[in-house]
Amino acid sequence: MLEIKNLSIEFGELKPLSQLDLSVNNQEIVSVIGPNGAGKTTLFNVITGIYTPTSGEVLLDGKNIAGEAPFKVNRLGVARTFQNVRLFLNMSVIENVMASYYPRTRSGVFSSALGLPASRREERQIRANAEELLSFFGTRLAGYRWEQPAYSLSYANRRRLEIARALATEPKVLLLDEPAAGMNPKETHEISEVIGQLRDEKKLTILVIEHDMHVVEGISDRVVALDHGVKIAEGSFDSVATHPDVIEAYLGKGSADRK
Amino acid sequence: MEEENQTLGIGTDEWVAQHGARITRRDGIAGIVDLLNQRISMPYRYALLGIAAVAFGFFVHDLYLIRIASNLGIFLMLTLGLNIVMGFAGLLDLGFVAFYGFGAYAYALTSSTQLNQHWPTWVSLPAIILATAFLGYLVSLPSRRLFGDYFAIVTLFFGQVFIQLVLSSDSITLPGDTDSTDITGGSNGIPGLYPFSFFGRSFKSTSDYYWLLLIVVAGLLIAITRIDRTRVGRAWRTVREDPLASISMGMNINNLKTLAFVVGAGIAGFAGAIFAGVQGAVFINGFDIPLLTLVYAAVILGGSGSIPGAIMGASIMSVLPEVLRVQNYSEFLFLAVLIITLRALSKNWKRFVINVLSIVAIGFVMKALLALLNTSLTPSTTWAIAPVSKVLKFWLVLPEHRIAWGNIAFVLLIAGIAYFSIAGEAIKLILLPVIAYVAIFLWEDRLVADPNVTRQLMVGMMLIVLMIIRPQGFLGKTRVEVL
Repeated sequence: MLEIKNLSIEFGELKPLSQLDLSVNNQEIVSVIGPNGAGKTTLFNVITGIYTPTSGEVLLDGKNIAGEAPFKVNRLGVARTFQNVRLFLNMSVIENVMASYYPRTRSGVFSSALGLPASRREERQIRANAEELLSFFGTRLAGYRWEQPAYSLSYANRRRLEIARALATEPKVLLLDEPAAGMNPKETHEISEVIGQLRDEKKLTILVIEHDMHVVEGISDRVVALDHGVKIAEGSFDSVATHPDVIEAYLGKGSADRK
Repeated sequence: MEEENQTLGIGTDEWVAQHGARITRRDGIAGIVDLLNQRISMPYRYALLGIAAVAFGFFVHDLYLIRIASNLGIFLMLTLGLNIVMGFAGLLDLGFVAFYGFGAYAYALTSSTQLNQHWPTWVSLPAIILATAFLGYLVSLPSRRLFGDYFAIVTLFFGQVFIQLVLSSDSITLPGDTDSTDITGGSNGIPGLYPFSFFGRSFKSTSDYYWLLLIVVAGLLIAITRIDRTRVGRAWRTVREDPLASISMGMNINNLKTLAFVVGAGIAGFAGAIFAGVQGAVFINGFDIPLLTLVYAAVILGGSGSIPGAIMGASIMSVLPEVLRVQNYSEFLFLAVLIITLRALSKNWKRFVINVLSIVAIGFVMKALLALLNTSLTPSTTWAIAPVSKVLKFWLVLPEHRIAWGNIAFVLLIAGIAYFSIAGEAIKLILLPVIAYVAIFLWEDRLVADPNVTRQLMVGMMLIVLMIIRPQGFLGKTRVEVL
């Protein structure tokens, strides 16, 4: 589904990613782990078109999307969430989701201004879809929250809403940047289940950046470890977690020997 | 209610969500206002406003008042247009009034002897709107990649370019021509425009324009409200909220910015054409920074991004200066603002009463002091025109050289206010009545003499006070940047 070939990006002397190869199969959950500054978020930014790679390809269903504008990448079927949660804070919860149906809907300024039937119909459809999507998160983003501003949500709910917003763009591939950051153990457990459901019920292919190893262990079909922009290990959670290079990357040189 | 609280448990999600139900009603007048505010829905308010506007058109025949109302209509169109560009899409467009000027000049050139053109209005109006919108499109092309301050600087530049172009287009030598042609009239403007005429019926008075404006503004309000609630309106707000998230959710933010810019420009051009028709002449100095500041002030005052706010802001900014022309009104307004400020700065009603009494005391002490020193005080008889002044003259010091003393008081007042903001609590208590006294002195002895300057100062002062008390504007929603 998503294939990254020989991907490098340079900002002057800085090389956040060099010659990275990575592939994610259809309906697979792949976790990307690595210490801070390993290049994980940069990888997401390159895939979604925010950065243009210096060399290499990002193939979505065999089509190279590297260097496309972010909105085009999204329309081709890649949606993401952000590490530092970037909701439309001053819009209501449901508006956050409704706004994201933009690329899949059509009414323009004039048909909206004149209140044409097609525009009204589309608007009702967007609303219904958004309500259905939010109900995916059960009581957490239930009806009484819809009209509240997004900034009134708790941190965990903001992360959920951001996932809902990404889903509204009807992606094939979902990129989640630290979905469990800042959540308590119960919420972490819930979000892990949600990610599993997204794969099984919504048939999504998911690439996750996550620091919480319990989450990574629970959800991953495969784990990829990065350090200094280079892939240092890949495979099942157990094989990556015990890989000497990974332990060194997290704990420093020599740590792996003593273990 | 009790049971509900127990089952929900304080602090749970559901409990927090129902905080509205737990707010207790306010007492007295505030409570009644709250209740009315809840009961009367938005369409009813618009309907009431519409009925009032229609009634005004039918029953008011005072030319001056109709003129003010028409100016309000034009100004409201501008405010609504800027509210789209700045309020919805968050673009700081400092060239906005250039589109207004373009619309006005376009009407002047197509309906005057300047170029010997007289287009039928039903042709020229749509043509002007389309042309201004297209100009907006052209201007947006180089600007739209920019954000915030950078966008502001570029658009400011375009606005100034427009002014210079109009000023210098009074002697253009066309290729193959030996003589220069006067296109825009330069700083002399273009006078003697033909009035609007639809299907043979020509507009005879401002009243005709009033009705046209009423229809146009009503149409715009409906259209903009609908856009705001639907797909494009939401997308504009996402661009304002977080452009990176917006583009990552599949929104082409460059196109959305252009669209906001084009719609805003089209509305401004429309307003400009009507303005040219009402005035019967166009002059370039009406489309410069002063007007831009007024339109921005109106949008911000009402609450950026709020349509009712735009109506309120435009009404205040365009009607208030007219009201302040009358000394009696401005006097009442000044004292009202002073008393409200005094109450806001006093901790409680007791403190407030003490402050008022102190001010009264200071007045009599000053009078007594000056009488003791045997200073000649000649209260001018022409001064006390307004009823308030008539009362005040028994209490206030009225020196011979009013203007000179007034200027000194001006400096003292500004210094006093500046010091007040950093002074300790004890000094503030003493300083407050003194400052208030100096303010009244300044008002009665100096500012009343210069009504034009005074009303500008009044409007400025009210803007400052409002922005401190309510930064989101009258009807705006509090915005959160990052939480």
